[in-house]
Amino acid sequence: MTAALSLFRPFRPGVVIAFLLSLLALSGCGINAIPTYEEQAKAAWSQVLNQYQRRADLIPNLIETVKGYAAQEKDVLTSVVDARAKATSVQIPSDVLTNPQAFETFQQNQSALTSALTRLLAVSEAYPDLKSNQNFLALQSQLEGTENRIAVARRDYIEAVRKYNTELKTIPGRWWASWFYPEARPMQTFTIDAQSREVPKVNFD
Amino acid sequence: MVWIIRMKGGALCLLVLCVLAFTPNSGAQAQDIPQLTGRVMDTAGILPDDAKARLIAQLAAFEDKSSDQLVVATIPTTGDWTIEHYANLMFRRWGLGQAEENNGVLLLVAVNDRKLRIEVGYGLEGILTDVLSKLIIDEAIVPEFRAGDFPGGIQAGVDNIIAVLEGDAAELEARAKRNERWIDPDDLAAIGFFSLFGLFFGSMIIFSILARIFGKKIAPGRYKWLGMQVTYGGSSSSSGRSSGWSGSSSGGFSGGGGSSGGGGASGSW
Repeated sequence: MTAALSLFRPFRPGVVIAFLLSLLALSGCGINAIPTYEEQAKAAWSQVLNQYQRRADLIPNLIETVKGYAAQEKDVLTSVVDARAKATSVQIPSDVLTNPQAFETFQQNQSALTSALTRLLAVSEAYPDLKSNQNFLALQSQLEGTENRIAVARRDYIEAVRKYNTELKTIPGRWWASWFYPEARPMQTFTIDAQSREVPKVNFD
Repeated sequence: MVWIIRMKGGALCLLVLCVLAFTPNSGAQAQDIPQLTGRVMDTAGILPDDAKARLIAQLAAFEDKSSDQLVVATIPTTGDWTIEHYANLMFRRWGLGQAEENNGVLLLVAVNDRKLRIEVGYGLEGILTDVLSKLIIDEAIVPEFRAGDFPGGIQAGVDNIIAVLEGDAAELEARAKRNERWIDPDDLAAIGFFSLFGLFFGSMIIFSILARIFGKKIAPGRYKWLGMQVTYGGSSSSSGRSSGWSGSSSGGFSGGGGSSGGGGASGSW
């Protein structure tokens, strides 16, 4: 004990300073980048979920309004109700971000709801009374706004994940990940195909 | 011990590598969004000077009152982007609204595309809702635009947006109060700097005066006090006070750092 102490004593201040310096150098080198980006990506993901939820919440009202004027469009109405039920009832697993299958399922459910909604709005075109109904107009602009918010939230999420995944794959981050964050996995991101890129356009004119 | 030393070596080596590997990755901004220079950014040139001046005065007065930043922008086209996408990027690039409040509104007109959008910051989404934005576009702006009256349409839009934002008077006042800036953050830095500056030189002056009174005279014009020597006379004051700082206040307009999540509505004429 004393031997060890006396051995180290001459180095002590130097060691402490070196340790502090190396800590500084480490944080300057981005040792915190992976958890930081991970949290940012998770926050962006919550925003995506939040906006999808907002859309799901608008649907019952929309269905009621459309029913009042276009009850004969039963197929379209049921398809929206079913798609909504599917998109909201599926329990999203906690590892959805790093689990390709779960993410794919989530994406498919949401895009099925999107296309059902688009069809419903397209069908409503044929009903002038419905189109001039104040309630419908309000719902429609809310829906448009929500689709746009979804687009923005998805874009932010894609950007946050791009940053996080790049950090995991590129050199200093890759080393930090292997030494300090071995559980860090690249996150899934939205595939923006041509169809879903068009989605936010639910314009009516 | 060994671990620490290895850490240190590793860290140093990593530091070097970090510096070597550091490449600034520029964000790919495909299209050029104009620089924000004023509350009315008439890039498309559809507003006559008097209408523009009136709008600027109105918008400035409204910001003074409410802290909400309302900006009007006209552009020829949004290019490949949708107007929603363009408006959101523009809003965020300009950082409209106060940072903590996100209370900005952007009225964007893409003249050649015959499209317009009201983009609402996070903080005002509850007041200037999507439905109200859509109503303002459809009922106030689009009829004027259809008649070919751009200044009239924009004026009507701005009047309506302000009317909606003013609608909840209590909330408006609370918002303004929260963002009341009796000291500008920029000024604060300057004040801090100059008080340090003043403290430093002030204490030097006081010290030199006290040194003359309490100190020991060691030569003509030289005093020693508290272990320091002070020399008087001679070629003093070589500090020519070269004030190289530029006051950035007054005249210009910049966003407060607010953001938008895509609230608002779009329309076309």
